[in-house]
Order: sequence, then structure tokens, then C-alpha cells
Amino acid sequence: MFAYIVRKILYTIPVLWGVVTVVFFVINIVPGDPVAIMTGQRGDEETLAKIRADMGLDLPLGQQYVRFLGQLCRGDLGTSYRNNEPVSSAIWTRLGATARLAAGALFLGTVLGIAAGVLSAVKRYSVFDYGAMFVAIAGVSAPVFWVGLLLLLFFAYTLGWVPGVGYGDGSFKYLILPMITLGIRPAALTARLSRSCMLEVLSQDYVRTARAKGLKRTAVVMKHALKNAMIPVVTVIGTQISSLLSGAVLTESIFAWPGIGRLSVDSLLARDLPMIRGVVVFMAVTFLVVNLLVDISYAFLDPRIRYD
Amino acid sequence: MKKMMQFMGVLLFVTALLLSGPAAWAEEEPQYGGVLAWRITSDPPALDPAHANIVISARGANLYCETLVEISKDGQELLPMLAESWEVNEDSTVWTFRLRPGVKFHKTGYQGKPTANGGREVVAADVKYSFERLLREKAARAYFLNSIKGYQELFDEKADSWEGIEVLDDRTVRFTLSTPYAPFLAALSYTAFSIVPHEDAEKLGKDFNFQPVGTGPFILNDWKHDNEVIFRKNPDYWRKDSAGRALPYLDGVNLVVIPDSSVAYLEFGKGNIDVLSDIPNEFYSEIQEKYRDQFQSCPTLATQYYGMAVNKEPFDDVRVRQAFNYAVNREAINELVLHNTFIPGKGVLPPGMPGYNPDLESYTYDPEKAKTLLKEAGYDKGLTVTLQYNNNPRHKMIGEAVQAQMAEIGIKMELQASELGAHYDAVRRGDVPFFRAGWSGDYPDPDNFLYNLFCSDNFGQKGNYARYKNDDVDAWLKEARSISDTDKRMELYRKAEQQIVKDAPWMFLFYDTTNLVSNEKVRNIHLASMGEYQTPLTEVWKVK
Repeated sequence: MFAYIVRKILYTIPVLWGVVTVVFFVINIVPGDPVAIMTGQRGDEETLAKIRADMGLDLPLGQQYVRFLGQLCRGDLGTSYRNNEPVSSAIWTRLGATARLAAGALFLGTVLGIAAGVLSAVKRYSVFDYGAMFVAIAGVSAPVFWVGLLLLLFFAYTLGWVPGVGYGDGSFKYLILPMITLGIRPAALTARLSRSCMLEVLSQDYVRTARAKGLKRTAVVMKHALKNAMIPVVTVIGTQISSLLSGAVLTESIFAWPGIGRLSVDSLLARDLPMIRGVVVFMAVTFLVVNLLVDISYAFLDPRIRYD
Repeated sequence: MKKMMQFMGVLLFVTALLLSGPAAWAEEEPQYGGVLAWRITSDPPALDPAHANIVISARGANLYCETLVEISKDGQELLPMLAESWEVNEDSTVWTFRLRPGVKFHKTGYQGKPTANGGREVVAADVKYSFERLLREKAARAYFLNSIKGYQELFDEKADSWEGIEVLDDRTVRFTLSTPYAPFLAALSYTAFSIVPHEDAEKLGKDFNFQPVGTGPFILNDWKHDNEVIFRKNPDYWRKDSAGRALPYLDGVNLVVIPDSSVAYLEFGKGNIDVLSDIPNEFYSEIQEKYRDQFQSCPTLATQYYGMAVNKEPFDDVRVRQAFNYAVNREAINELVLHNTFIPGKGVLPPGMPGYNPDLESYTYDPEKAKTLLKEAGYDKGLTVTLQYNNNPRHKMIGEAVQAQMAEIGIKMELQASELGAHYDAVRRGDVPFFRAGWSGDYPDPDNFLYNLFCSDNFGQKGNYARYKNDDVDAWLKEARSISDTDKRMELYRKAEQQIVKDAPWMFLFYDTTNLVSNEKVRNIHLASMGEYQTPLTEVWKVK
């Protein structure tokens, strides 16, 4: 297992290098002078040239790239062009809010999704099954901004049960609506996948054998079928963790949630190259780490899986 | 007669806008306390005045720091602020400012921590330090003051201090200009030229942006990025109200970040936001109607236009440019597309700008004349042009309306949306013959518009995107910035603007208005003509 983890971590290095290299060159190709945007589209050329020189933007692209890789190897993500804030500090500041939102949405998505999926499979072709799957399809199809606005309008502004927007003092009540908005889609996806996986497992011989031995239906489902049905579900949940941790741009914008999604959009609009690169590196590392954890988790779900 | 009616219409509209807004609270007794929640659309990139180049940054910076002079509410006058008085020599090259006594920097700063300056009084050396700091910090707008002697030497790091700024004593500072520069005083009102204490700026370095210190009515207390920028009252603020009471009345101001306009409006309706500014078109009429007594609007120093590169076909022919101006029905677009949120434009200088000429001879909607001009220019079978605009729903709507009107005179106008940064990059380089652009004034002086946008010294980056060149206009604009006689200056600007309108390097479209709506608890808020971000909050109060 240890050797597997080390090997996997070593594999991530070229992947990470590939990602940062592509991002570095792609965002440099995109037209739009970061200095002009930063200075509000006006200024004298001499001052702008000085600012460019300070940022190293006057260097040949290859040299800028080598400098960037050097910084990255030292663990330095650079400093924002937009406000001189260290990139790592900007990401760190917003990570808390994004992590809370992601955790809430994931919890909601996983618990609701698995519960609905498993129950639908067990009660196949029942009213519950049809109802749950209809809601799941609606959940996958409904645009996030529409769901978010509707929830806000009804629960915050009509009923007044929860606060409208913002992070407030960080208390749970501010998390409820964004968490639901963001959690609906993962819940719907997880429900549909759990149902199909569960149906497949429930048709296996060992499940029939367990039932024939006189085990109760609940025990068979919970102890024997569920664990095996969860392997593909865990993979999907893993990819959802990565996406959610990378920031949910629309949800964060609607609910004025101070997370990484908004940081990445603001940075893109401002051509804040170090911040864009930093956020992409963060996203890439998150994906790689979560994928590694998902791979490792397979062994716990299915002891037949070995990593030698 | 038609022209007269149109002029009267504009005049009535402008008057109505100026008069709109609440006046009922004038007789009320101010109340202390309360925190004002002001919506902003995104996290300010900078609060250090040196880098507060965009309006969201300026909204924050204007709360805690102050300049030597300030602009009057109507935007027509420059008033003393940190400078109590000033004198200028005959050719406007030597400006001597006397500082107001008793003005102190904030004693406590970010999160209540003591500041390095300890709340000491502002002295003339702070003025010199703050201005020199702009060049050391490579502030993008420091070039507004490049007429001060020694600018280039300090900029090039060939000198240690700014020769043209002398500290005569603790309360007197003198600026010596290398050439006469009439807009000097107006330029000093720009946010970047705020006075900051050297102890804090030096101690904090780059972090001064996040924990800035000034002399203003509010102190930055906390900055929760992408969430809230929280200011608390400065208990030692120097200004008093007309009855001699301490200011500000408010305990604090929160700039609340809400990116989505619909949500911001809902928050305003719920009472969580006290002031909503830069109201989006979709809610404009509703807000104007629903919050009649709390809604304010006035012309601001900004103009919208379509630039035509005079060095590129077909715009190298003045008749084509004039035809384009005759082909557009600005009044109809303003009414039908923009819900009358703009003022149809006649020229360059917007109403409210000193030097604005209500008698400017300009273009009225006359498709027949446009057709004739096109025919004379050899385009009797019409022509095809592509307008490039920065992607924004409002610009798209205006573009589509203009496109329909152009089609009536045989011009096929294609629309090409471009991302903001890419758009201006191409426009500055001169790659785009026909483009949308706008200009917002930095300070209330016609030089800030006419010289930047039309003097041939300023091709590209500095603002003359249309590559317009007229030797007479160049001479008038240069002369106007070098003389101190206001009447003569304004006369030169009128001549220059009239010639520019005749040469038509732009399709003159609209003048912007600025607006805000406040909730019923907010009193004494007066929208600034420079834009909502300049609206002073020192004398605003909230009823309990």
C-alpha cells in the first residue's frame, strides 16, 4: 500500500507539470494586457512599462515560464497583480468558506443521494421510485442560478426563515441555502447512480443466497449489497469533492459567498496571471489528492482489490 | 425650432435629474449611531489610494482618506479639504497650500490596533511624502501631476526627492510646475492624491493596501475578502456640522459585496442593504417608481461613444463619419432601450462638466442627410462595417438598436463582441476601425476629456483611440491647459469641442447619469456628480 501511494504521488508530478505548463502558456496567449486592466484601462506608457517590468512581464515568455517554475518548486505561488496579496494567502483565506460549502453540499448530496437511490432500488417501480427519480432528473437539469434564486426568494425573502446572502458571522444559518443549492446536483447524480448500482448488486447470486439463508431484507441490503454497490458511487463522489473544492462560481456569486470560485472568476476578468495560475495549481492538486484517496478507499470497500 | 425643442428637452431632463431625490429630511435633527450598508459588486482590488484606480476601490478609499481639495456637490467648484487655503502665481506655475490645522491621522487602525503615527497632526512633510510615494509605488495615475518640476527625475530614480514639492514649514507646502498646467488644482482632488502618514505606509509596506491609514471620517476596521469591508467611525475626525456637532453621525459603514444585481435588489427590499448604487437597467423603472422619495439620479462626468479610426477606411472620409452621426436616433434609443437612464449626447463634454456647451452645434437624427453624405462620399450603394464592443448586455442592446437604424440608410453594421481586456488591447493598438468606448472623468476639468481624448500627443494608450489629429484643436487644447484665465480657457475648449464635433471622429452617443436608492431610514445622502462612489457619507445619518 505504501509503495502504491508513493508511486501514485510520483505520477502526479508530471501531471501537475503538464497542467501548469498548459495553463501558463494558454493564459499568456489570451489577449488583454493585465497591467492595462489593473490600472483601469488608462495610464501613461512609461508608468505601465515600469509596472510590467516589476511584474516580469517584459521578459521573454520562456524566461517568465522558467521563473514561474522556479517559484513553484520553492512553494511560492507568487503575488497577485491585482492587489499584491500573496496568492497562497488569498487561496487560504477563501478555502475555509469553500470547504464549508463543499462539505455541506457533499454531505447533503451523499446522504440524500444514497438514501434515495438505495430506497428506489429496493422499492423498484414504486411511487417512491418514480417520484425520487423524477426529482433526481429535475435536480440534474435545473440551472443552479435558477434554483438558487428561487430558494432565496422563497425561504429568505418571503418566509424569512434563513438569512439571504453573505457569509455573516460564519454561522450555520448562512450555509443552509447555498449548501442546498450546491448539493442538489450531486444528490441527484448520486441518487441515480446508487439506484442503478444497487439494482445490479441486488440481482447478484450472493444476495439471493443471503436471502435464501433467511437473512432479513434490510440486513441483506445494508450489510451485503450496499458496500459493493458503493464502489462506483465513491468514484463519482470523489470527483464531486474535487469540483466542489475548486469553487462553485454560480452558487458563490448568487449567495455572495466568499470562496475560491469567485476568486478565480475575478482573477480571470482582471487577467491576474499569478492568481489564475495559483488557483489552477490548487485545483489540480485537489483533484490529484482526492483521486488518490478514492483509489485507496477502494481497498476498504472491496478487500479483493490489492495495490501490489 | 426642432433643435430648440430638443435642447429644452435635455435641459428639462437634466434639471429633473438634478432636482430628483429626497429633500424632506433637510429639517430633521441628525441622529448619531447606526451602520450604513452599501452594496458593492465585487471585492475592491485596492484600498491604498495610490492604487485605487477603479470605482469600487475609490468608494472604499474615499471613506478613510482625504485629498488637499475636494469637489463641490454640483461638481463645479474645488473646495478646501486638507488644505485650508492656497495661492497661485500669475502664470499658474507656483501653487502654495496652507494646511488646515488640527487634522489628525487615525490613532487606531485595522481591527482597533494602534497606528504607527499615533494619531499625530498632518504636516506639510506628509504631503510631500504622499506624492513622492506615488512615484515610488508606481501609481498608475501619478502622471496626472507630471507637470510638477522634478517628476521625471524622481520617476527615473535619478533623484531622491521631488524637486518641485517644497515644505516651507509644518503647515505650508509649495508645488512648482515646470510648465503652466491649469487643471492642476482639479487634478489634486483625485483619490490617488490623498495624504497618508509615512510611519504606517513604511511600516506596512505592501500591506498598507490591506490596513490603510488616513485622515477620513471612517477607519478601516476589517476586510473580509469577497464578503464585507467594514469601516468604523473616526472619533477624532476634524470636520463639524453646521451646528458645530462632531462628525460623522454614523458609527460605521459596511461595503457589502453582492455580485448578483437581482439578489442585491432583494437584499435592499428586505432592508439588509441601505444603499444600492449603479442600479441595473432591468430594475431602474421599478425602483424609480417604487422608491420615488429615496431615489436619486444626476448627470455624471462620463460619456459613451463609438469611435471611428480616422486613419482607416471608410472612416478616413469625414462625410462618412458625419453620416454615421446623422443616422443614429439617440433619443429613441435612450427611451426605448435605456429606459431614459442616459442623456442623448451632442458632443464630448457631459452636462455638469465645467465648459459644457449647451449651444454646441451637433447632429440630429436625419437619415436623409446621412444618405446624401454617404452618396457624396461614394457609398451610394451602402457599405458594411463591423462594430467591436466589449461584451456587456447594455452595450449589446445599444449596438443592436444602432444597427437597425444604420440599416435604414444602407449601412450594414455587424456586431462583434469582445472580452473587455481584449477589446481595449485591440482598440489601443489601433487595430479596430469602429469600436465602442466610454470615458469617465477623473476630475472636473474639460482638459481631462478633450486633451486626453483628442490631442494628437495621446494616440492609443492615453485615450485618443480614434487617432484624431487636427492642428488647430491641438493648439487650442495645449494653450487651454497652460493659461489660468478661466473664461479664456473655457472659450478655447468650446472652440475645440465644436471643431471635434464637426470632424466627427466619434459617433457621439450618450452622457451617463449616476444614481442610487437609499432605504427610508437613511437621511442626508446626496449623490455626487462625479459618481456614486464619491458620495460623501460624513453627514449621512440613519433614523432609529
